[in-house]
Amino acid sequence: MKSITQICALVLILMMIVSPVVADSSKVPPPKGEQCVEETEWMRIHHFETILHQRDETVLKGIRTTKHSLKNCIDCHITANEEGEYARYSNKEEHFCATCHEFAAVSIDCFHCHSDRPESAVRESIEKYKKDGINPHHGDHSSANDLILKSKLLSAQ
Amino acid sequence: MKKLVSKAYKLLRTKDTTPDQSKRSFMGGVAGAAGLAVAPGVMLYETAQAKPLDEAVTDQVRWGMLIDVNSCSDDCNACVDACNDEHGLWPDKTSMTDSQWIRKLTVRDPQTEHSQSFPVMCQHCENPPCVDVCPTGASFKRADGIVLVNMHTCIGCRYCMMACPYKARSFVHEDLHDQLPNTPRGKGCVESCNMCVHKLDAGDDTTACAQACQKDGHQAIVFGDLNDPQSEISQRLKSHGGTQIRADLGLNTGVRYQGI
Repeated sequence: MKSITQICALVLILMMIVSPVVADSSKVPPPKGEQCVEETEWMRIHHFETILHQRDETVLKGIRTTKHSLKNCIDCHITANEEGEYARYSNKEEHFCATCHEFAAVSIDCFHCHSDRPESAVRESIEKYKKDGINPHHGDHSSANDLILKSKLLSAQ
Repeated sequence: MKKLVSKAYKLLRTKDTTPDQSKRSFMGGVAGAAGLAVAPGVMLYETAQAKPLDEAVTDQVRWGMLIDVNSCSDDCNACVDACNDEHGLWPDKTSMTDSQWIRKLTVRDPQTEHSQSFPVMCQHCENPPCVDVCPTGASFKRADGIVLVNMHTCIGCRYCMMACPYKARSFVHEDLHDQLPNTPRGKGCVESCNMCVHKLDAGDDTTACAQACQKDGHQAIVFGDLNDPQSEISQRLKSHGGTQIRADLGLNTGVRYQGI
């Protein structure tokens, strides 16, 4: 009897380990390409290793291959939704990185400094801010959404 | 699963050989045309080829800038605007602490009342004091002479700002958002002119400020390789000479001035 319980517990633990951890990504717009630069399963677990490696290569040696660069990840994975808007990292339901990191409760610092959207989307927001006379470089992260709201309100007037 | 991981590792080990070929072949063509061909395939001197994306920078080049103060207009701010636009800086004129990577300086001789205006930025010293004092090694000089801050290891102590005789560095005091992909920057880090490394690494051979100055017709900023005797910057330095700001410090700056 004892061994059966042990086996059951073991099976349960194994199932927990083997079962894929997938966040709800139903609202995330699909990526540009069909296949990731590495196997998807491997990337799910190890993507930070490639990004970490690439970061030192780029900063210290000026190696800028696109395959494992964070910029390349963003350019491919962060696409516009049906309304043509690009999700920010603060959008925990639509931003590709945020959905999973929210689900796995892993907080990352990448986007305090790095861009969470492709360049064209950032340039577009900057132009909008300039038009509305808002300086996005003042105020904390949480006010980013307030700024977007303010910008929308201003352009609606 | 194990198989999958090992396969992925193998994939990872294989070198990325997909640089932007179109740009490379274009740059190669330009460089080739600039070289002096004696016979097919024989060149009088080696021309600078654009660095492939997967190769590290070397000390064969040393990037530098030459600023002709007499060509610099008092009321022109094109270089500063171009820098702000290129790197997504957004200085608020009312703020005392907002980042400035390049600034226009006006100096006046009280005796003759002769005033001059010129841009000052990180001088990209050969012996940078900011690198000497950095406790974490975040402030460093790249092989091609560009002095940078590795923001992954910068702890924001600001020793480098104190050490810099040119007041070239800024500290980011507040949270930022909407940064551009080519210029990651954030609160708690020191930053300064990076000679548009992302452009240079991509095979470009100019900076945003030099480009803007050229476009405005002043042509006061010449950017180039100080190690290449045939480059415009070396030729101009050879014929007209150049001054370093605070040359007495013996820092051997990469940014030189003419007409100060």
